Amino acid sequence: MTVFALPLRRRGSAGGGLGRARFWVYGLLTAFVLGSVFPFYWSFLVASRDSSILTEAVPPLVPGGNFFANAQRVFDTVEFWRALGNSVVVAGTVTVSTVLFSTLAGFAFAKLRFRGRNLLFVLVIATLAVPTQLGIIPLYMAMAEFGWANELQAVIVPNLVTAIGVFWMRQYTVEAVPYELIEAARVDGCSMIRVFWHVCLPAVRPAAAFLGMFTFMTSWNDFLWPLVALNAENPTVQVALEKLQSGYYVDYSLVLAGTTLATVPILIVFIVLGRQIVAGIMQGAVKG
Amino acid sequence: MTRTVPTTPRGRAGEASTGGEPARPRPAWRDRLGRWDVRYSPYLYVAPFFVIFGIVGVFPLLYTAYVSLFDWELIDDNPSFIGLDNYVSLVADTQFWTTLVNTLSIFVLSSGPQIVIAVLLAALLNTRLRGPTAWRVGVLMPYVASLVALGIIFANLFGPNYGLVNGILEFVGLDRIDWQADRFASHVAIAIMVNWRWTGYNALIVLAAMQAIPKELHEAAMVDGAGPVRRFVSVTLPLLRPTLIFVVVTSTIGGLQIFTEPKLFDAMPGSNNGGSTNQFQTVTLYLYQSAFERQDLGYASAIAWVLFVIIILVALVNFVLTRRLATTGEGRR
Amino acid sequence: MRHQRRPVLALTALLSATTLVMTACGGSGESDSADGRIELTISTFGEFGYDELFAEYERDNPGIRIIHHKTGQGGPYHEALFTKLGAGSGLDDVVAVEEGHLSDVLASSSRFQDLADIGPSSVTPDRWLDWKYEAGRDKDGKLVGYGTDIGPLAMCYRKDLFEAAGLPSDPEGVKPLFADWDSYFAAGDRFVRDSGGTAWFDSAAQIFNAMQNQLPTGYLDRSDTLVVESNAAIKRNWDQVTAAVEREQSAGLVAFSNEWNSGFKSSAFATKTCPAWMLGVIEEQAGPEHAGQWAVTDAFPGGGGNWGGSYLTVPTQSDHPEEAAALAAWLTAPEQQVKAFRGGGGFPSQVEALDAPELLAATNDYFGGVADGELFAAQARKVGNAQYKGPGDGKIQETASSPALQAVEQGTAPEDGWRQFVDAATRIAG
Repeated sequence: MTVFALPLRRRGSAGGGLGRARFWVYGLLTAFVLGSVFPFYWSFLVASRDSSILTEAVPPLVPGGNFFANAQRVFDTVEFWRALGNSVVVAGTVTVSTVLFSTLAGFAFAKLRFRGRNLLFVLVIATLAVPTQLGIIPLYMAMAEFGWANELQAVIVPNLVTAIGVFWMRQYTVEAVPYELIEAARVDGCSMIRVFWHVCLPAVRPAAAFLGMFTFMTSWNDFLWPLVALNAENPTVQVALEKLQSGYYVDYSLVLAGTTLATVPILIVFIVLGRQIVAGIMQGAVKG
Repeated sequence: MTRTVPTTPRGRAGEASTGGEPARPRPAWRDRLGRWDVRYSPYLYVAPFFVIFGIVGVFPLLYTAYVSLFDWELIDDNPSFIGLDNYVSLVADTQFWTTLVNTLSIFVLSSGPQIVIAVLLAALLNTRLRGPTAWRVGVLMPYVASLVALGIIFANLFGPNYGLVNGILEFVGLDRIDWQADRFASHVAIAIMVNWRWTGYNALIVLAAMQAIPKELHEAAMVDGAGPVRRFVSVTLPLLRPTLIFVVVTSTIGGLQIFTEPKLFDAMPGSNNGGSTNQFQTVTLYLYQSAFERQDLGYASAIAWVLFVIIILVALVNFVLTRRLATTGEGRR
Repeated sequence: MRHQRRPVLALTALLSATTLVMTACGGSGESDSADGRIELTISTFGEFGYDELFAEYERDNPGIRIIHHKTGQGGPYHEALFTKLGAGSGLDDVVAVEEGHLSDVLASSSRFQDLADIGPSSVTPDRWLDWKYEAGRDKDGKLVGYGTDIGPLAMCYRKDLFEAAGLPSDPEGVKPLFADWDSYFAAGDRFVRDSGGTAWFDSAAQIFNAMQNQLPTGYLDRSDTLVVESNAAIKRNWDQVTAAVEREQSAGLVAFSNEWNSGFKSSAFATKTCPAWMLGVIEEQAGPEHAGQWAVTDAFPGGGGNWGGSYLTVPTQSDHPEEAAALAAWLTAPEQQVKAFRGGGGFPSQVEALDAPELLAATNDYFGGVADGELFAAQARKVGNAQYKGPGDGKIQETASSPALQAVEQGTAPEDGWRQFVDAATRIAG
């Protein structure tokens, strides 16, 4: 089976939309990625030298030797590790929960029939259109009422599941999960939740992985709400790093050393989840 | 609110094989549970979203609607009820219309190119690459960039006096552009910033959807003699329809709420003015300024509601258009 | 849980009822630690130099534990502050407020304690410079904040550029140039002509704000009516500054923007209005290659002025108002503020502190070894009466006058800019 499957796939993809990448593809992608990664490299440059290169139109392109000294200053100035721990808890919880609940709701909206389905789905999308800038005051009032002000749940609970996540998973599931598979599983006597777990979930893995990356990074970079909702004893990374910008001028080599350090966990999550965005669906389908 | 799972019958898991023969009589409770499962479990699956929204979303929404009917300062002991006066003044407010035009202009300059480039970029990423994860992570990086770094980099690029772009323009013999003062130029610069941040994100969305397209469909089209472009247009694009609807609707909503980029772009640090004559102030910046600088919470709430309605309308139009445009391959499977 | 009496009460109740299951009705009753000590929370931004003082206070007052919440930038700090004021809960026992946001705080002074009432009776108005103390009181005379630091204004200038343009360059010789605004702009004309086009100052708004702050009342008079159009002095200042812009005295660089930073490096302008804290900014932005070229003199056009500085307030939300006021009173005493100054905080606002030997001994190497402590102490005493700033004064500066001046620098005609300014100010005040 595998012996056959491999050459078959290769033949199929060579001529299909998934052709082997040519040089110009690499060229274009390289240009894109260079443009995308530049700010990180630049941040690292400043962090490894000193702030004076900020005002130069064309900065020197080779890192200096100050990165570890600047990183040490970050650790001395803010409670970096504690903030990192909080951020991991917050972003991790929010990510797992958002992916799970969004996938579940997306499955229901895409593949199950129930009264009020369309109305509820429109409601989900409508909530996306609410401008969030003002929400901070009533949200704080609500959190204070619940006694959650200054607690981590104040930044976790509001993000446990998002409208954009539900919308995305619904749209993806519509195409990615054939009805036949669901029916087959139902005929096999699977309960709904088992259909979800064994049929839907494997098929939507690429979308769930992307949602996970996106959610993690949004939560990780969130600033104003954690600043308001958490007190400085118990900060997330972004709130803690903000303290590096005290004083009448900003020491950018210090600030950017901090942001560079704070990016590392995101990269790890990206690399782990980025692998999941692959065509894994059809294997699952064939097995069914 | 706890886990929703336990309500579904656990016991059935091990006996799945019996389901094949519908004629065979089963114990009534299991039957009933099965029907309950079909009828009610969807509500359980969508419940978490609505519960969370009920806790943290409904109150802010109602609160904002309520406040918009008052002359309500940010810190106000005695707000006075003024009915729809805030909405009436909003219609006559030239600054509101300026910001609305700015928003639409930046939105058009950013969203269109962004989606087209994102789809093409996704097609590139969908080829068989060495080290695919690295490329994917690479294009998503802008979204993670720290706003501090972004602010400085784009200021260095588009600074009217010392900026790199103007340096290049001058070097090749063109006129300098005042990216801050000129209304259209500032919109272009902000749109570039927006596109830089969001194209990779949209590309990965589209890529994920492309990965779900069965290869057999491509093979079948190939057998029919379709070339790569033809296959992309008549096989790939129609199957991307739900995803494209998602991308269009979310970038419409996001584009009309654009806030971070124009705020970062302003030379005055932290300012919500959107330039010296509000030339690039967006509606959300204006709403934010009304609430937190002018501390006119009632008026800001009215802006928020009007913006909400506008977004719904524009998103609806875009949704319909996208559905029409991508309808060519209606027969799914 | 303290609640402001608002129409929203009913709404809140409704919501609480529907989500009763979720509510673990907490509250702010967690402010006493297990060992029976009173916990006092204090929030500051930037650098107040208080860290070691807190330890000292806890040593002297065994019944108190201090928790310090520090934010880096003033912008997000005050945003969070006003969010919590608006929400009616969540503020610390002692809250620092920057001068630029003080008029908003004074406008809602009902949400703050009267420190003259609940503060220690040993604290008397003569502790502070007169104008600093007065600015901390609302219209009815309620003392909302104890002054911490100030930013007395002097003039910074580029010695080397002055010399090259044939102007006097030693700190005594330049004083006539900075005698009043007329002499300042006249010198600017000479400088621009003889320097071959280098600008005289960085930004029109920086100059205009300094001139504006020297007027007896701000953009609103004591009955809180907008006087931008009726107060001829404001228009006179506007005309003078915008005329100077048209004569190319302004570098047109928005303060604290990236290009403004670059402007220090590339020697784009020759003078800078200089509050005490600006010396550090100049040193950082101009960098070592311009060391010794910048100088500061104890003169300022039109007498003196102030830019920046903060107050410590006690919100009515606090559960321990008297203890909080006692802490704020202690922190703002002259001895403590001198220590805070040495710990990186701002220039002290207390009369006695200005004579403190530690302050007078301070020097600044980047500015040619000038005795800056003594210099700014002298400038602090030159500041006239406290300007009355009505509600919205700070907002008018941020969102009306400054952008309009920037527009003029970008090519708008001064009269059109004036219209823009008046319109925007009217909307804010109205």
